Amino acid sequence: MRRIFGVAARFRGEVEAQREPLYRLAYSWCHDRSLADDLVQETLLRALDRAGQLNDPQRLRSWLCAILANCLKDHFRRAKPHEPLDDEMAAQGEGPEAASAGAQLAARVRAEVERLPLGQRQVVTLVDLEGFSYAEVGQILEVPVGTVMSRLCRAREALRGRLIDIAAEQNNKVRSIR
Amino acid sequence: MSQQPQVSREMQNAFVDGQLDAADWTAMVERIGTDETLRRQVCELRTVKDMLRGAYADAHPRSFARASNRWSWARVAGFALLFAAAGWLAHAGIQGHGEVAAIMARSGVDLRGVAADRILVHVASSRGEVVDTALQEVEDYLQEAHAAGRKVRVEIVANNTGMDILRADTSAYAKRLERLRAVYPNLTYIACNQTADRLREQGVAVRLLPGVHVAPTALDEIVKRMQQGWVYIRA
Repeated sequence: MRRIFGVAARFRGEVEAQREPLYRLAYSWCHDRSLADDLVQETLLRALDRAGQLNDPQRLRSWLCAILANCLKDHFRRAKPHEPLDDEMAAQGEGPEAASAGAQLAARVRAEVERLPLGQRQVVTLVDLEGFSYAEVGQILEVPVGTVMSRLCRAREALRGRLIDIAAEQNNKVRSIR
Repeated sequence: MSQQPQVSREMQNAFVDGQLDAADWTAMVERIGTDETLRRQVCELRTVKDMLRGAYADAHPRSFARASNRWSWARVAGFALLFAAAGWLAHAGIQGHGEVAAIMARSGVDLRGVAADRILVHVASSRGEVVDTALQEVEDYLQEAHAAGRKVRVEIVANNTGMDILRADTSAYAKRLERLRAVYPNLTYIACNQTADRLREQGVAVRLLPGVHVAPTALDEIVKRMQQGWVYIRA
């Protein structure tokens, strides 16, 4: 009994630590704060429900991200219109939402990420926000590593093309600081 | 001087993401030292990567700060245990209240401290087989309890697409829910306000069936009830 409670408490603590990064990831996928809240809540419930399925505690983060990806998949399966997974163009992004330059820049980047097809969006955010390896991303999204690389390549190319001017400004600022 | 072959975009990305092995990484570094175009391209990729990371730095869960004041993970001690223990009657191939008690007992929970006559059924999906099974199980359970003269309480908590069953404009179960409620006043329906808010943001006018109560979030209601000793069952 003590052992069971000990394991459960530790598991809860470890899952709790992932709540914020999970939300960030969910938000970067759907760009809808309420939906991101729902997805994280659902991920949390499923994780607690299926705690016994996590054989390797080292894989907790990628396991939770895989659950989140499935929650989003379930959401889009139910919702209409269908969210394009890869090659179709996604919805237009949000407009500038804040007064400060930093917030405007962040909003612009998020808007461009939102324009990416879902498959590309998921790959690039798993790599950039969560630091997963390509192999881990492949496991989370249940796609081959080659697909991860090609989606990532297309995502970065699209972002680079749309943000190139801003990126150049950023580089100039860095150079001037140096 | 012979022109060097172009470094592929995949290779550039792998370099930026630290995915190359030592030999390829060293070769890339050497090449970047002599190839101005490659250096610029890699620099741009690196910048885009950093910009993306910065763009979500302030994304925090709204419900996290709010919820953390109302309930903490410490307050839901046994939460995971009960999830693992209870399960949904049908999923576990179990029928009836006595069997729920049995499965919890096997997991080491002290049944004397658990009011097993209070059950919360969580419906997060509008899929027909899920809802049909849940309602059938609830009806059987209430019928059995009524016949045995036991005082029980059941709450059906719905969120996500499960909310559809409690919405006047979408529910395919309105009559059935109304009939159940009329026969069993100890049955309550709870809708998740977080889901309702999300629907409203999408321009949906959310109208709930008569008699449906609203909780801030489904999770809040579940945690509250479990703290009060209710048995949680996920449909």
